Parts: sequence; C-alpha cells; structure tokens
Amino acid sequence: MERHLILEDGTVFSGQGFGAPATTFGEIIFDTASSGYQETITNPIYDGQMIVFAMPVVGADGIHAEAYESINPKIRGMIVHDLAEVSTNRQRRMNLDRFLQQYNIPGLAQVDTRKLIRHLRETGSQKATIVDVVDEHAKDQLAATVLTNKQVQNTATPKAYANPGRGFHIIVIDFGLKHGILRVLGDYDANVTVLPYTTSVDEVLTLDPDGIILSTGPGNPEDLPESVLTLIRVLQTKVPMLGIGLGHELFALANNSALAALPAEYHGMNHPIQEIISKEIIYARQGRGYVVDPDELDSKKLFVTHRDMIDHSIQGLRHREYPAFSVQFFPDGAPGPEEAKRVFLDFFETVVDYVQKNN
Amino acid sequence: MYKRTTEEQQKRVLFLGAGETDFGMQGENDAAIYQALPILKKQGYELFVVEDNPYSLSLESAFAKTIVATLTVQNIKAIIKENAIDSVVPAFAGVRGIRLWQQVLSEWREEDGDKPKTLGMPESTVSLMADQTALYDRLIDAGLSMPEATIVKSQDEANQILRDLELPLLVRAHNPAQATTRRIVKRLDDFEEVVGRVLEQSLTKEAVISKAINGLKEVSLLVLRDSFGNCLQVGASEDMDPIGIHTSDSLSVAPVLTISDQVLQKMRTQAFLVANILKVQGPVHVQLAFDEKTGDMYVIKVSPYLNQLTNRMALLTGYPVMLVSAQLAMGKRIDEVVLPDSYHEKTAMLEPVMDHIVVKLPVFSFGDLEAAGVKVNRQLSSIQKSVGSALGFGRTFIEAMEKAIRAAHFNNRSFSPKYMKNITDDELIQQLIHPQDNRVLLLIEALRRGYEVDELAELTKIDEFYFYQLGHLLEIEQKILNARPTSTVLAEAKKSGLSDGLLARFWQTDFQAIRNLAKEAGIIPTYKALEPSAGEFPEKARQFFATFEEENESAPLCDESVLLIGSGAFRMGDGAAAGYMVNVALSELRAMGYKTIIMNNNAADATLLPHLSNKQYLEPLEVSDVMAVVDQEHPRAILVPGNRRKLIAALQNLGQNVIVLPKDKHQPNGPEDGQSEFALNFFYDGKNAYPLVVTEHQNGEIRLIDEDVSDVDLDEFELRSPGMYQLIWRRESGEWSEHVDLPNFAVDTWLRPMPYGQIAFLSKVLGLSLVRLVIRSWQGGLKPEDLEALVAHMPQLKEGEYAMVSDRTDFDLHLKPEGEIDSTRFEMGAKIVRLLKEDD
Repeated sequence: MERHLILEDGTVFSGQGFGAPATTFGEIIFDTASSGYQETITNPIYDGQMIVFAMPVVGADGIHAEAYESINPKIRGMIVHDLAEVSTNRQRRMNLDRFLQQYNIPGLAQVDTRKLIRHLRETGSQKATIVDVVDEHAKDQLAATVLTNKQVQNTATPKAYANPGRGFHIIVIDFGLKHGILRVLGDYDANVTVLPYTTSVDEVLTLDPDGIILSTGPGNPEDLPESVLTLIRVLQTKVPMLGIGLGHELFALANNSALAALPAEYHGMNHPIQEIISKEIIYARQGRGYVVDPDELDSKKLFVTHRDMIDHSIQGLRHREYPAFSVQFFPDGAPGPEEAKRVFLDFFETVVDYVQKNN
Repeated sequence: MYKRTTEEQQKRVLFLGAGETDFGMQGENDAAIYQALPILKKQGYELFVVEDNPYSLSLESAFAKTIVATLTVQNIKAIIKENAIDSVVPAFAGVRGIRLWQQVLSEWREEDGDKPKTLGMPESTVSLMADQTALYDRLIDAGLSMPEATIVKSQDEANQILRDLELPLLVRAHNPAQATTRRIVKRLDDFEEVVGRVLEQSLTKEAVISKAINGLKEVSLLVLRDSFGNCLQVGASEDMDPIGIHTSDSLSVAPVLTISDQVLQKMRTQAFLVANILKVQGPVHVQLAFDEKTGDMYVIKVSPYLNQLTNRMALLTGYPVMLVSAQLAMGKRIDEVVLPDSYHEKTAMLEPVMDHIVVKLPVFSFGDLEAAGVKVNRQLSSIQKSVGSALGFGRTFIEAMEKAIRAAHFNNRSFSPKYMKNITDDELIQQLIHPQDNRVLLLIEALRRGYEVDELAELTKIDEFYFYQLGHLLEIEQKILNARPTSTVLAEAKKSGLSDGLLARFWQTDFQAIRNLAKEAGIIPTYKALEPSAGEFPEKARQFFATFEEENESAPLCDESVLLIGSGAFRMGDGAAAGYMVNVALSELRAMGYKTIIMNNNAADATLLPHLSNKQYLEPLEVSDVMAVVDQEHPRAILVPGNRRKLIAALQNLGQNVIVLPKDKHQPNGPEDGQSEFALNFFYDGKNAYPLVVTEHQNGEIRLIDEDVSDVDLDEFELRSPGMYQLIWRRESGEWSEHVDLPNFAVDTWLRPMPYGQIAFLSKVLGLSLVRLVIRSWQGGLKPEDLEALVAHMPQLKEGEYAMVSDRTDFDLHLKPEGEIDSTRFEMGAKIVRLLKEDD
C-alpha cells in the first residue's frame, strides 16, 4: 500500500508501506552503515526516532536471536529503499516486515533514500511522520506534535538487576543500555549489576563496585535531572569509570563542560577515530546528535583522548585527576568494528589497578 | 656510478609489470600501475616500468621511463643495474609480480650490487608468499583457522593422506608455476590423475592437499594497511555460489547482503590480522569461508597484492584504491595520503560505504568456441573458466543483476520463458548440482517449475535470499507476459533493470515503440552518483549509474562532449586490446580539448579509471542504455568500436553522429600451419592512405619486415572510415622472410581493419601512437604537423627488433577443449619478445 513520509520542512517522500500500518511521529535521522540493521533498530538510543537506511537492501539476513540490542525496539519508523523478505528464524517465519508489525512500527520501502539522505544532510535532523494520506491535516498534526524528551525514562530500567559473572564487579548505570555492552562485559566474565540512573551514591557505594560504566542512551543529556551529574561527580572520585555515548556526554557535563547539538546527526561506522597519544586510527560505530563543545571543555578537569578525523569532533575524554574516562563512539560494536573494543581493555586495566591498590 | 644518499633513497622506483593477459589477469594490474604513475611522479619519484604486454597502457605512460623486456630475473636485474633503481614495487603486478620479485631476491648476489628496497611489504613477506607451509603456520599461529593442509612430494604420499581424510579434497600445487591450480577431488577415481597433474604444475614437484570446504559461503574482503599498522576496510563482496566454484566464475554481490554484522565484523578483524602479520603497506585481499550451520570461519586465501578485486572495489565504491595503495607503498600514513582535487579531502581515510548494489557476472567464451567447432567442458569447478566479467549497478539486487546479465551480453533470447523448456527435470537437477555457465537462468527455470525455495537452497547451497529475489523477477516476467505494454508494467520492468530491447521482444514490438511509450509516460532513468560516503558528504562525483527513482544527480557535462562506448567484458580474442584502443582514444580526445564521457561495465578495463575521462557511466551497452545517456548528455559524437555493428546501425538510424573505430566482428583466424600471412599495414586518414610497414605472421608470432613500402600506391582502395587497415596475403612459409615481394594488391590480397592487438603492438615498436592518428584524422584529415610526424617516422622503421607472440594460454587446464583452439582468433594474451640478432 502506498504510504508517505512528511518532513517538518514540508517535503514529502512516497513509498510502499511495510511493517505496521500505524501513523507515527518521530525525529528523522539517517544511517550510513552497510550492515547491522537489526542491531540498529533495536538500539535504545533510537527511541523516538525514524531511521533512513543508506544501505539499499535491508532485511536480507532476517532477524537473529543474537542481534537484539534490546528486546523491544523503540524506533518510530524505518525508511528503506528495498526490503528483503528473508527469515532465519527456526520457529516461525519472522522476517523484518513481520518483526516491525509485531512491535507496531511502520516501515516505508521503495523510497528514493539517496535523495532523502542528501536532503537531510542539507536540512538537518527534523520531525517527521509516516501517514496514509498527505493532506493539510497530516501536516498540521506534524507541526503541532511535540516530541517527547523523556526517552531515557522510556528505555532505561526502572529496577536494578544482576548479570552475574565470576570476575570484577562492574556497575552499569542504565540510561538506555544496549546489549552489546553487557556482551563485552560477559567476555571479561564481569559480575555485572545494572542500576537505574536514579540510584543514589550510597546505594552504589554499598555494592562496592570495582568499576562503573555510564551506559549509552537516547535523547538530549541536558534533559536528565541534575542528580545524575552529582552522582557522576562523586563516583568518579572513588571508583574507575567509563562513560559511553550518552554516558560520555554526561561525564563531560558533570565536569563543567558543555555540549553542542549537531545540525545533522551522524550515524554510521566509517569515520576514522584517532587515539591522540598513540596516533593510532580505529573505526567504530557512532550514533550522535550531540558532541562535547571543544570551546566549552573544562581543560583543567578533562583532556581529549580521541578525535574523529573527519569532523574533528571530540571522541574521547579523560579526567586529569581521577581514573575516569569516556568515549563518544560505541566500543562494543553491535553493529560495528571490533577494533574499538580495546577501550574495554583500557577500562579493565584501570579496574585491575584500582583493585590492587585498594586491597 | 650512481651514489646513494639517504635523501635520495626510494627516489628511483621500478614498477614490475604483470605480463601477458590470461585467465584471471585481464589487464587490471596494468590499469593500476597506469593510474598510480602520475600522482607518484608529482610527488617527486623517478619512475620506471618494465612490461612485455603489447596491450599495456603503462608502457605508453608519459610519467615513467618505460622498458619493454621479457619479465625474467636476468632482465630485471639488468634493468635495476642500468637504471640505478633503488626500490621496487612488486605488488602492483599482482601474484606474478610477487613471484618474480621473490625469485630476483633469492637470486641476488653480492656482485649484483646493493639490493633495492622492496616497497609495499617487507622482503620477508615476499618470501613468505612463496612458501605456503610457512604462510600457513604463521596464520595458524596467529589464531586464524585454515583448512588443514599437508604437503606431499609423491603419489604414494598422497595416497596415504587419503586414509586420514575424507573426500572431497582440495589439491593444489605447492610453488606453482601457473596462477591458479586449485582442484577439488570428489571421486576416488579422479584422485590419482589430479595429484599427478598438480605435482607437474609445481616448481618443486609438490602438492598441497587439504579438506575441501565445499558448500560454504565465500566472502572476499579488501583491506588496506599503512606502515604504522593502521588498517581500513575498503569493502567486501559475497559470492552467490558456494565454495567449490571458483570465485571468478561465481555471481558475486557487493555489499555483502546475507551475512550478519557480527560475522562480518569477525571477518574484518581477521583480515586486519592477516594484513598485520604480513606487514603490508597497501592492499590485502582476504578470502574467507563461512559455515552458517556451525559459525566456523576459515581463511582460504590471502593475496597481499593488487588483483581483480582491487580494481573492482575501487570502481564499485568510488574509493581510489590504487592512488592510496601507491602512496602507502611509499611509506605514507593513511592520513598523509594526498588525493587529486576531484575527491573530498578526507576520502582516503573514510571507509567507503555503498548505497547501491553491484553484481559481478562472469563471462564465458564457451558459445564462441563451440560456434568455431571446439567443444569444451562447461561445468563450473574450482578451476577458473570465465575469461572476463561484467558489472551491473543498481539500487536493488534484481536491477543490478539484470544489468549485469545485459552487460555480459547474454543473448536476448536467453530471457525467453521458453528458453529452457526442453531441459528435462533430471537434467535440471543435474545442472543444479553441477552448475554450468547458464547458472542464473537455470535457477529461474527451477523456480518457474515450482521447486520450493528451501529445496533449492539445500540442493545448491545458495542462500534463500537469492531465490526470493529471482522469484520476484519471475513475477515481473509473468506480469509483462500477461499484460499489454502499459506505463505501469513498463515502469516496474525498467526498475528491474530490463532494457527496451528485451521488452520489445516480450511484447513483440520494436525498440522504438517501447522507447516512445517510456518517454510519454515519463519513465526516464535517474542517474545516481557513485561516491564513497553514501550521501553523507557532497562529493564532486563523476561516476554515475542509471536507476528509476526521483532525483537525477547527473547534470549534462557541456556542449562539446564526445561519448565513447567501451568494449565491455573481456572476451577471448583481443578483449584487452579493445580496452587499450578506447583508452588511447579517450586520452587523445582529451588532449584535443573535448570533454569525454565513457560508458562501460568492465572493472578490469582501464577505460573506467576516473582520471581518464570527464565523466563515467557504469552501464550496460545496449542501445537503450546508450540512448538514455545520449538524451542526458547530448554528445557531439559517439565513438564506437567497429565490432558493435548492431549498436552502430541502431545509433545511426536514430540520427546520431557515430564515429567508428574500424574493427572486424571477430578476431580473424591466424594462418594455417606451414603458412605465412603477410600484411601491408596502412593508415587511412579519410582522404589518403599511408603505408606503414609489412608484417609477417607465422603460428601466432608476428614480426616486422625491413621493407620500404612508403611509395606503395593504395589509391584504388575505397574505405568507409579513417582507421588502420591491412592488406593480407598468404604464402607457404619456411624461414622468416627478410624481404618480401609485394603481390598484385587488387587481385591477390584482401582488405581488413587492423586487429586492435596489432595496432597496440605496432604503436609500441614503431614509437608512434596509431590510435592517436586515427582520432586526429576524424576531424577531417591530419594536420600538417601530424603528417610531418608520420613521415619523419618512416625512415626509422628498421628491421623488426621485436616480435609479438600470442601467448600459449593453458586452455587444457581451464577449458578441457576437445580440439585445438586457434590461439590467434581466441587469443587470451600476447607478449612482446625481443628478437636476438645474429651479431648480438
């Protein structure tokens, strides 16, 4: 059935509907990665967003049990050029189309996605809606829609839970955690406790962690309560800390630095990132609408460890006094290159140091 | 004597050439060298190229000193000494370059002087590549999985292995003299014969036997590494056919569609590991096998040199692989690489991503051979049988595949639903299990007969995705057959990559009717830029492909453009030579001030190198594709190789200004055994004929005869278009002739366009670019200075110092023909050989 995508600036793109026949509103962004569509649409950082895929054929690998980054996808829409109907599920026919139906997410296929991406590149991320009919009503609806800024509340766990292992005790503060982080911690056999971001300093310290990870998550970090920054400010002085994605942005905010919103968000995994000290170049999955503003970085507290070599954005920070650091990119991959995983190695080295000194 | 100082180190750089064209060697290495030379020259290197392939473009490059010499250890050593070469680039010449350089290094003696530095990889890697066992151990030690392999020195040792391993087994030569020798043995009966053959193909008389991993998915990754160990992935492609069919003979697709990100990332990590083990400064092609059932992954081949994949990846991603590789070989870091202005400044560092699909389809010469009465074994196996390949670019798999099929020049008839109706179900099943060159059409026929997708997937080990896609194609075919030509069906058909000509056949009307309907309904192609960022950055893209969407990104170049039609896929019989012709034509037209536009679909062909033309269309070359570009660009003229007769006629009918590069439809047969074929070679500028030289052809070898023919009167011959021509006569032969008595031309000779291969050869040995003369004469006769150059050249035509020898391709290994293959008509490659004179 023919359906339509209306952008905030009034542009309309038409295509064939798939997934759920729902009408949704969201912020539209584009993704240039050529693999990992399932990981991407299940990544909680995309809560409330519609994703345009540059990859021309999407769905050819089906839906896999091991490729979920969260159980319930939170995206508001998926826009592709060509949809493939392949099922790799042994129990039932579960292709991408049915998967989206199950979670009431609309998709739009046979769209000139290259034109759409070139348009978004120029006009920036914006509100959008997927509808059956393009009329003034639909446009008014879109104009009147205020997108939520409660994405973290929407995706992060309200309750603490454990992911037991026999190694170091790592606490993950959940802002919209993706499974990839837990998977890598599993590789280190870490004994993981995932805590809501509303947890108090005392509760965290009572659990006596060997290290703390500030997880990835959706939305604008400035929409989170001040208590989160306080939590970070205290914990970073006590226990090794790694911030990832939204966690990195919060780490910067907690340390007296400011963020800048990107006109067009970057979602992909093909930018070179340089580790400044070694000059080594790696590639990593990135998904960002905000970056740390280099002019507003408190360089008495923090210094830059990684930079994106394409747009020069800050990709890594380290605290000058405490064993705390952060990366803007996603070192767990899923989807994305594995070479970025060395960030976790650095983290665990810091943890080992801490444990040895404090035993 | 040349004195080396630190400053001058790496200044005098020798590029080894790849030698004659052959199975798997279709000129891509020459194209790579040709592209790398200008940028290195600009960076201050003194460049040298040694090559013996008459179709080589590098040999005519203005950016290097070019040396024609047979690629032997002795010659290379002499050239190094004579030219005070201090570093050598072997990897641009592919596997042959690495082997040759390994031999040079191992035979380097103290009296040869200082050994030149190897660029692109350490010496140790060069020798490692010649020692399969050591390479295997290194990769295994690093934690990579490879199919377990054992080296045997005799049939007896081989038989012992049979006790431990189950069939199928993979047998290949250790230190092979030839390029590919991998054989899969499935039946016990074949084992002895295969081992015997393979032992013979080994320089050390050893064979490597390993467990065959048939049926697994095969993926090729191309990665680049710099001298600091930074790696990036240029791209990956998957083969539709499972392992067991040579990757060159399989349909392959990029980007990879049917493999999960997690597996692809593991493959990437392994490919980087290989690059780091080999300490390459440049490209590495890593082939991996993946077992979907168990998740096991094997490294099956590592190629730390430029090959077909490097050129193909460069073309299909828009990433300048060769320009970057050349600078990495010189020791630059990936972030120090400098690119021409036509690229985004960060392009070298950005891992390319594709927002289009490219299908590569092999091209076989079975039909041509059978038409000439030579029966060959059509069954595909682990030995390469295809002679070339064509690419199809699109935004869906089906569109890309259909365009690849059309680019590979399948006959239109093959698309008829009735084409395979005579094949019995038994034969169908047999061919599904033992694939032949008609693979794709057979799979469609199986679907047409109602075989289930999972059955077919099990039988063929082809991913279900492809069957669903082919099923869609079948649906579209049904729609077309059941409908009258309407704009709705036409739009869907065109989106699926079908051509006007094919639709005209389906609807039993003519091409023009379909074209008119499409125009009226506004179904016109939108050209998408091919660039490495998938739309993230504005790039100054010059490469485009057609699809049917909303936005057209291609703006007409200018009023004074010339459109050149490339020669398409490499075929037996002067495919490489045709590429050479079009290239020189491109270069000359640019020199004359025209903006040039090329249409082609062959990644090995240098015509598509970005710096050679102002704009490139990566398209099939049927009339409808060409006319769509004409409607877009309105070129002043269209230049077409003379063998494309239907296309030329169709374009002329449509009122286009067509310039023909004269050529026969087929490469002519060579003389019979015991015969000499003589040719008076001459140039016709549209008004006058200029005799050049007489050549003699015996048994696949062509020599020049020292005979002044400049006064021969050729006025009586009427010719349609300017070009290079030959008057041919044959005689019983004995020795090579020193002089020749000219016959009565009007009676005893026949006229033909000079085969492109001979144009390439004569241009090199005469030191006069014959194609350039032809192109210049197209404007209406030569300028006085051109004539002066031509005349000034005449006295220098000394006795032939060089001969051209059509190379003895191992047809037996690849095609198992049931008869002799005429190596002139079905030439794969040729060599320029220096003739030793008596007093030498």
